[in-house]
Order: sequence, then C-alpha cells, then structure tokens
Amino acid sequence: MAHAAQVGLQDATSPIMEELITFHDHALMIIFLICFLVLYALFLTLTTKLTNTNISDAQEMETVWTILPAIILVLIALPSLRILYMTDEVNDPSLTIKSIGHQWYWTYEYTDYGGLIFNSYMLPPLFLEPGGLRLLDVDNRVVLPIEAPIRMMITSQDVLHSWAVPTLGLKTDAIPGRLNQTTFTATRPGVYYGQCSEICGANHSFMPIVLELIPLKIFEMGPVFTL
Amino acid sequence: MAAPPEPGEPEERKSLKLLGFLDVENTPCARHSILYGSLGSVVAGFGHFLFTSEIRRSCDVGVGGFILVTLGCWFHCRYNYAKQRIQERIAREEIKKKILYEGTHLDPERKHNGSSSN
Repeated sequence: MAHAAQVGLQDATSPIMEELITFHDHALMIIFLICFLVLYALFLTLTTKLTNTNISDAQEMETVWTILPAIILVLIALPSLRILYMTDEVNDPSLTIKSIGHQWYWTYEYTDYGGLIFNSYMLPPLFLEPGGLRLLDVDNRVVLPIEAPIRMMITSQDVLHSWAVPTLGLKTDAIPGRLNQTTFTATRPGVYYGQCSEICGANHSFMPIVLELIPLKIFEMGPVFTL
Repeated sequence: MAAPPEPGEPEERKSLKLLGFLDVENTPCARHSILYGSLGSVVAGFGHFLFTSEIRRSCDVGVGGFILVTLGCWFHCRYNYAKQRIQERIAREEIKKKILYEGTHLDPERKHNGSSSN
C-alpha cells in the first residue's frame, strides 16, 4: 500500500507493473532533461544583453526544434506502445473472478469452482482491529493465488466505478451494462490495496479493494471457500 | 517519509529528487547517468573555454554536453539493466523448474543429457 505523503509509484507486484515502472523512469529522465534545458534557456533569456526584437529567418534553429521534439516523442511512444499491447495479452488464465461495483461496495464471484459470491464492504473505523488501516481494510478480502494468470471480469450494477489496484498496475472501469476484462499475474504474496477510481457518489472514497495473494498450494487447499 | 523497514529488509536510501521529481537515489541508473553527465558537462564546457575563452558559448557547450552524456549513459545503463533482469528471470525460472522436477521424467537436465547422448 502507499505510505503517507507518497507521490511515487508503489512497488510492483506483477510483471506489467515492473514494465510500467521502467517506462515511467525512462519518460521521467527525458522530462528532466527537457526541463533542465528550458530552465537554462530561461536563465539565458533573463541574463542576455541582446535586445534586437526584429530577428527573423532562423531556418536552421526552426528545423532543429521541429525535428528534435519529434524524435523525442518517438523515443517515448515506442516503449509506451510496447507496454500497451503487452497489457492486452490474454495468456490462458487459470482462474476467472467477477467483480461487480455497487454503491458503495464490491461483489466478488468465484464461479469457476463452485458458486462463491460475497460482498466486500469497507470496515468502519470503529470496527477496525488494532493495526488495521483506516478507509482501506474490508470485511471480506479477495483471496487469489500468486504466479497464476487470473482474469478479472469487471462490471457495475448501478453507476460507473473503477476497480484499481496500483501495485498490480490495474485500473479497469466498471460500467453498467458492459463487461470489461483485465488479466494479471501476481509475483509475490501479500495484502494489496486499491480504491474505487471513478466518482460514484457520496461514499466513492469508502469502497476499497483488498487483495490477499497467497501461494497456489495454499489457495488450492481451499481457504477461500470456507466462508 | 517511508515506513520504517522490517528487520532484515534492506533500508531504502533517502530520496534525492532533482528538480523536485527525479528520484536519483531510488531510480536504477539515474545516479550513474547524472554523475557522468555532470562530468561530461564540466569536461566539455571547460575544454571549450580553454580553446576559445568564450564564457557564454562554453556554458552552452557544457549544458549540451550534460544532456548528451546523460542520455547516452542512461540508455546504455538501462539496456544492460534490462538484459540483466531478463537473465535473472530466466535463472529464477530454471532454478524453480529444477527444484520442482528433479528426479522426474520432466527434469530438464535429464532431457538435456538424453539428447546429448543421442
């Protein structure tokens, strides 16, 4: 989960998120260098003694400052498109979970093996256990195996919601009347948090998502089906 | 203001953010690229000044040198970092396969020895 005042990305828990972090670092370095150049140009503008305002015909400079940004954009776009198509790959998921957004809770359906359906409500602060996370902990977590491709089918029963888990690099809109699909493979066990990411009413900030990722061996023993 | 590290966990280095957003300490290859870029900038700028004695133009050359050297080091380092990550992933998968399948008919070493003896 994010710590207080965190502005950077969370650590990756899926290969896609690792790629996204790599791309983010790449884009940020380019942005830093452009900002540095612009600051230097600003400094030069403020400290120059040249005052001629009738300059024209700077063909070479105009060519350079047209072609260079185009090259920079290509350098950013190519890795971006690579990751975009990577996120759309569907690699034979082992498990399919349905996630349905409501005002203001999530319903999860494990229909592959038996018919487990449950609601996931945020725990009110009064009901939190000591050490529990305010506005993040829920009564029923989504328990999933690691190192297995998982398909999430996301929809909504009323208004727009969005199912997001930053550490997995996931954010998919829950749209009434439409079924959206996202797939992921988690690489390490743990408890991971997300929050609804599409404004959906008064309690939009109070319908979190909590994934409990456990080793496949333990998942197969059936802890998720003992509700 | 990161959470305190668990016992046994490596401590996260204090973040130093250039221009307020580029976290040099925690971004792989960033510190290395910026340092080499700074060195390149000083060498290029100072070298130009020694030859021409023009201060403003030497500063321009220095800035240009910084950008080019930083970019060059950055791409070189990130390419090697990506290659290393792929090799680590392959090694991890092979170790896992070895542990899971050692002694069985799916043992990769047995398959490899079988094909080399044929």
